[in-house]
Amino acid sequence: MNIDTAEALSLDENSEVSFSQLLVLSGLSDNDLRELVDHGALTPIDPNASSWMFTSYCVVVARKASRLSRDFELDAHAVSILLGFVEKIEALESELHALRAGALGHGPAAASGTVSR
Amino acid sequence: MKYKDYYKILGVAHDASADDIKKAYRKLARKYHPDVSKEKNAEENFKEVSEAYETLRDPEKRAAFDQLGSHAAGQEFRPPPDWSQHFASGSPFETMGQSAFDDIDLADLLAGLTGRARGRSGGRAGGREGPIPGPDYEAMVRITLEQAFHGTEIELDLSVPEYDERGVAHRVPHRIKVRIPKGVIDGQKLRVPGKGGKGMQGAPPGDLYLDIQVQPHPLFRTSGQDLYVDLPLAPWEAVLGTSVELPTLAGAVSLKVPAGTRAGQQLRLAGRGLSRPGGKSGDLFAIVSIVVPTVVNERERSLYRELSESSNFDPRAHFKLGAAA
Repeated sequence: MNIDTAEALSLDENSEVSFSQLLVLSGLSDNDLRELVDHGALTPIDPNASSWMFTSYCVVVARKASRLSRDFELDAHAVSILLGFVEKIEALESELHALRAGALGHGPAAASGTVSR
Repeated sequence: MKYKDYYKILGVAHDASADDIKKAYRKLARKYHPDVSKEKNAEENFKEVSEAYETLRDPEKRAAFDQLGSHAAGQEFRPPPDWSQHFASGSPFETMGQSAFDDIDLADLLAGLTGRARGRSGGRAGGREGPIPGPDYEAMVRITLEQAFHGTEIELDLSVPEYDERGVAHRVPHRIKVRIPKGVIDGQKLRVPGKGGKGMQGAPPGDLYLDIQVQPHPLFRTSGQDLYVDLPLAPWEAVLGTSVELPTLAGAVSLKVPAGTRAGQQLRLAGRGLSRPGGKSGDLFAIVSIVVPTVVNERERSLYRELSESSNFDPRAHFKLGAAA
């Protein structure tokens, strides 16, 4: 059977989604999404714009907020606080990972290698 | 249909109160919720816990579940003959023959009793009328670092619910082919639009979300789009400088190591890491270590002695400075 190949899209800082797309993709209500923005859990690219746009990475955060809200029966404020802690833990884990990979603070500062060929 | 013991999954007695069930769920949700847990198999465990709670929190579903009888977890079973008339009245299951239960998931059966269908983001559409968007699917994808570097195509085999003309969900195998863009990193999330479940009554399909896991590589370590590789040098190579063949994910390159290179020094090969979407690629860092031969012949020993006698180099000079302070 011939199966079409679908393209996977990165959810990162390089592409954008609109407020209404974020609503559909996250399953959050309009009110909850606005509250998450008010509490700083999600930041529009231009908070002063008449219609908010977000980086597509916000889809990851908003879906996480939706799961946390549903599974722990939390309101948007509690979800925002929890997301803040989760984000801090992830940042620390990432730093630890970078240290382990040899990225930070070990040995003298990086010098440039010369590559031939 | 395979039996799942929802009481055992939540660790509560069969006569547990609603409060006990809620407490047990919260405790296990804290332990296994994939967004806050670092437990092994957290996602699978949480899925079971969540499924058990969805059933036992709802008196109607709980009663229907209780009347399915007690079986060993994982055991194939069919509901008792009169079960459908008592608990599935008005649902598509009411008129189903016994054998029709065989390819139905227990959770789908119990969810179907109240006419509910899973909506987008795994949420419930609560028996509402009108079009219902298809559910989103989520899958973990393990790829090699080479696949992450070059981009790759993968085939996913999922077991998904498909609704028959009566609205009964049957588990069916579903194969999806996905192109993963180059430069994905460990932990990255990808969205494949329209590859989730089918929508109902003309609603759009859901999406497929992929959670990328990059397998550890025997040579390279990663940090975001940057790569790290250990570069062992012999003492004389570090002192005199040398040219070494260094592996990269795009093939070996010749790397010039400057004279006087120290252990721990990082030699940066710009743009030789993983590519960033819409930006420049990460870098490859060769981390220098200096290794010494454990066995030396007489000639080498003699040369080391000669070097030791003629060199003024003191690797511990800072000890004296520290002691004088």
